[in-house]
Amino acid sequence: MKLFSLFHRLYDEEILAKLTFLKGISLFDGIKKRHLIHVLESLQERTYLKGETIFTQGDIGRALFIVFSGKIALARLDQTTQKSEVIAEVNQGEFFGEMALLEEMPRTATAYAMEDTKVFMLFKIKLESLLFARPTLGVNIAAQLAKILSARLRAMIEKPAETR
Amino acid sequence: MAAETQQKRSYTQFLLPAFIGLALVYFVVLAKGAIFPFVLSAALAYIISPVITYFEVRGIKRTFAVAGLYIGAGALVFIVLYLLFHFLSFDLESLQQSWPQYAERLQTYVTNLNTKLVKNYPILAKIGLEQKLTHLLEAAPQFILGLIPALSLLFIVPFITFFMLIGGTSIIDYLLDHIPSRHAELILHIASRIDGSLGNYLRGILTEAFIIFLIAFTGLLVFDLNYASVIAILIGISSLVPYLGAIVGAVVSSIVAYLQFESIVPIFKILLFFVGIRFFDDWFLQPYIMKKAVALNPAIILLALMAGGEIAGIWGVLFSIPVTCIIKEILNIAVELQETEFRWKPKPEPTRISIPYT
Repeated sequence: MKLFSLFHRLYDEEILAKLTFLKGISLFDGIKKRHLIHVLESLQERTYLKGETIFTQGDIGRALFIVFSGKIALARLDQTTQKSEVIAEVNQGEFFGEMALLEEMPRTATAYAMEDTKVFMLFKIKLESLLFARPTLGVNIAAQLAKILSARLRAMIEKPAETR
Repeated sequence: MAAETQQKRSYTQFLLPAFIGLALVYFVVLAKGAIFPFVLSAALAYIISPVITYFEVRGIKRTFAVAGLYIGAGALVFIVLYLLFHFLSFDLESLQQSWPQYAERLQTYVTNLNTKLVKNYPILAKIGLEQKLTHLLEAAPQFILGLIPALSLLFIVPFITFFMLIGGTSIIDYLLDHIPSRHAELILHIASRIDGSLGNYLRGILTEAFIIFLIAFTGLLVFDLNYASVIAILIGISSLVPYLGAIVGAVVSSIVAYLQFESIVPIFKILLFFVGIRFFDDWFLQPYIMKKAVALNPAIILLALMAGGEIAGIWGVLFSIPVTCIIKEILNIAVELQETEFRWKPKPEPTRISIPYT
């Protein structure tokens, strides 16, 4: 019993919670929990307060964002009407901005926090060093990323033209 | 009117940060001496923080990870230092005793050489080789012994580092949470770029220096050369500058071997040993250890070291390479930002494929 309480004092429950959270992210499907430690090492945490802008349409993208808690809105400015419209809401456990991991191109939407939100950021440079240092893990993430992009593209094509 | 007020507000928002910044600079200038151990401690904390993170992401609480690391590393360092000081103090003591004798022999050798050279080439008399050597020989032991007070930092710095590691990244996290959210992504991108290249370079070069020190120490002990520990430490430190370690080692060891054995064969063996170290470093250590580090040209490193020495003496030399790493990465990022954010280069075209998604 004493040994158990000693372990509890030594062990950080927060890390366990973060690892469990990462296990549920589709981008990290197929990666063992003990390997997710290396992913966690590469992530950067930041809290955005309600209303704060994470990035704006046209900014050069450099990171992928995973929502740990809270909610993010993605809005796109219509060039013809000059009106901004919310195109998606990103909830806990979902991620956005994955284009930045593939190419440093301008963002296609603006992201802002709808409530106090904690995010994990995965920078392109960190993913590259992960690919370099742990190729098996990197290949797994790259394969998942390709699947997700394919799914998003399919969803876009299958969407009725007027709602696109 | 509204626009004017807006502009005024935009200027006043920088007043407090500017005031805090200036006060900080003034404080640093005033308390330069006191701050120095903290700068060294911050550098040390930065170098060993990945070890703490290693345990932290595996679920060990930071306090326990730091305490465990200190107990483990402390015990190891104590044994290593004890052994090293045992060798070193013995070496230094015997060096101090036999130095006048060695110096005299070296001086006689150089005097004879100088007489011969001057006789054949009178122009060399102007250089005053003999006087220069006399001055150097007198100054050398004092210089080595003069380094010992700096050893007191060896006790202060780990102490401060301990508290910095326990505190962790809380100050940095606080600052990151309070930078304008709109620029957080860019600032964190720059920080991770600098961290990546600087961290890899520092950890790489320190590992390399330590391995070279170990090989040189073992080799010189096998050769039964006097002052093996002093020479090995000198080689370890000088190997922070590419190519210098093996050259310093070869020259110093050859001189000591000449004075000790008075024969050419051991000098030949030692030179061969250092050629071996050089190749081992080039072919195995550097490609493996430095593969992820920022590449610095040896000429740039030499310039940085000389400029560092000119600006801030021995500590300037110590910090010159990390600072050069940061400057190089900042320049790289600055050029990239000019190209991407300020459109120095035409806007990159996204990859376009004519075949539709099927």
